[in-house]
Amino acid sequence: MSRIQEISAKSCVAVLCLLFFLVGCSTDDKEELEEQSENTSESILNQSWEDTLAEAEGSEVHFYMWGGDEGINHYIDDWVAPRLQERYNITLTRHPMDITEILQKLQTEKRAGKEDGSIDVVWINGENFKNAKENDLLWGSFTDYLPNYQQYVNKENSEQQYDFGTTIEGMEAPWGKVQYVFLYDSAKVEEPPASFADLAEWVKKNPGTFTYPEAQDFSGSGFLKHVLYDKIGIEALDGKEYNPSLLQQHSDEIWGYLNELQPHLWREGETYPSTLSDLDHLYSQGEVLFTMGYNEGRAERLIADGTFPETTRSFVMEPGSIGNLHFLSIPFNSTNTAGALVTINELLSPEAQLKKLEPSVWGDNTVLDINKLPDSYQEKLKDIERGESVLSADELQDSFLNEMDPEYTEWIKEYWISEVVQSGNN
Amino acid sequence: MKPSIVQLVKMFLLGCVFFALVTPLLLLLLNSFAHEWRWPQIIPASFSLRAWSVVFSDPHIWSSIGWTVLIGSMVVCLNLLLGLPAAKALAYYEFKGKSLVETFLLLPILIPSLAIGMGLLLTMIRVGLADHWAGVVLIHLLPTLPYTIRILRAGYENIGAGYEEAARNLGASSWKAFWTITVPLLFPSLRAVLALTFVISLSQYVLTALIGGGQVVTLAMIYYPYLAGIDRSVTAALSLLFVLLPILLVCIFELVSHLSRKVVTTNQMRDET
Repeated sequence: MSRIQEISAKSCVAVLCLLFFLVGCSTDDKEELEEQSENTSESILNQSWEDTLAEAEGSEVHFYMWGGDEGINHYIDDWVAPRLQERYNITLTRHPMDITEILQKLQTEKRAGKEDGSIDVVWINGENFKNAKENDLLWGSFTDYLPNYQQYVNKENSEQQYDFGTTIEGMEAPWGKVQYVFLYDSAKVEEPPASFADLAEWVKKNPGTFTYPEAQDFSGSGFLKHVLYDKIGIEALDGKEYNPSLLQQHSDEIWGYLNELQPHLWREGETYPSTLSDLDHLYSQGEVLFTMGYNEGRAERLIADGTFPETTRSFVMEPGSIGNLHFLSIPFNSTNTAGALVTINELLSPEAQLKKLEPSVWGDNTVLDINKLPDSYQEKLKDIERGESVLSADELQDSFLNEMDPEYTEWIKEYWISEVVQSGNN
Repeated sequence: MKPSIVQLVKMFLLGCVFFALVTPLLLLLLNSFAHEWRWPQIIPASFSLRAWSVVFSDPHIWSSIGWTVLIGSMVVCLNLLLGLPAAKALAYYEFKGKSLVETFLLLPILIPSLAIGMGLLLTMIRVGLADHWAGVVLIHLLPTLPYTIRILRAGYENIGAGYEEAARNLGASSWKAFWTITVPLLFPSLRAVLALTFVISLSQYVLTALIGGGQVVTLAMIYYPYLAGIDRSVTAALSLLFVLLPILLVCIFELVSHLSRKVVTTNQMRDET
């Protein structure tokens, strides 16, 4: 018995020694990196852009982002990365990782005091930005330093100052802009509803053809926020602080409306799709005639790859369509802030933003102020065909609504189950 | 008449099992080539190679398969290295606090590994194992080692200590006894351990993301984000890759063990003559 234990103990020790040895090989250059980063992070925002370009040259930038969309991955790997390589000799590596895990990683690294992190750029917005900012996981206020931000972004615009109600303070740079639209199959629906009242009429006449994702889902709460805008009114919510008395005043109307819809929804409202992709799947199989979601251009590629019917079109309803931005930021322990700044600046260039807008690439709207662009780009922007399923720029602009205070979303998520799912099905 | 009925039933059951195993794979295969496939069409309306070209144009795909196989194999080896002595001790020996040791070795299954992983990450960062494949290999021991010890222990208990003792009494070295007696007798358990630990290691997403920190990109890191998306064809293509890896590995293992047994038996025959 003792021999066996001895052997197992020996092998354990041997394995651990081996692993430590292997890991030990790479620690030397890490120390060098650490010294470098300490030098750069303090002075970099005071030096000229040319110096930053020179510093970034030949470096490697690690871009951490959600990896579940082939079009977006393609855009980064095959358009952005070669361009950065060619113009600035920067090697861009994309790492597929969900933002929750990225923040978890940064949070733990913060606790462990790890100053030489592996992430240089992250894709972030909303709740996650709020968490990251509150926990000091971000590098600093850098947007004013970027030439393309200075030149092309309208900083006065409220959407450039608040991200879901959190003040941005230059800690993240805008990257793209999406609006919430509804999608329908024009071969089966002649005239989509124009307002929430219309929608109620529609589902009563055509039971089982409409549903929305549950409140816990990002797109589900998006749908419910539109109901809030409809019942409470735009003036009281857009750009205003959280006011619980409004909810008390209107809660009967809000839940009343949703309960009125419920028996006529898909499967008599006994169950709701738990995610947007579940609803998309129902729509792609023709089980329901509508789907929805942020990004007014997202139907184009789904039509092209055969997931959605070719007759898919989009619409917005009164009182409007909520839009929000998504952003890029730099973590507190990035070891290549110069490279990160150049990369983010490049992603904000008119060329990169126009490419991103093409429906076959991504179809994500630009964050640049069109009036600030050179004429040639304004022309190009007008010439981009976003596809038949996408509403016109004017129509989208006219219906644009800002995100409301996140407290409202919390309220919806908290009460939706008890007020709608449980009360209606009892 | 009677045996033929039994045979029929057997055939039927076998057919059912085969059907249950193969149909999902066939569906995946069909789905990965489908361009438009809507209910109530029985087969897709049109086909395309898009999903496969998406999968293989991902710059990470080949390196991720390499890392997956490498990490999985190392996890299997470490499992055997640590699991064999532990299982033998638990199967054959009585000692103070044995039940305590047993429970301790089972704990990783009972406590969610994410909770342990979060705690270990802090240590791994300090030691320098985070963001490194070695850390990922170590963390994969967490969800695999308890099963390995269980399986091997049952294997050892089935054989009993007698054969090995007999061999030792006849003058075989402990190494020779292990290699010529224990390993062949333990073979079914070893095969089970190999398949199970490899599959578990392959499918770790959260632990790999946590400890590997996005620097260690295994197949799961590419596959899981697509699972949440709507693109069924790409998901199907990646799923097939996911299924093929362990099957291939088990085949290689069978081949190698078959050949080595042949070599061993011919050697033995030569020794005898």
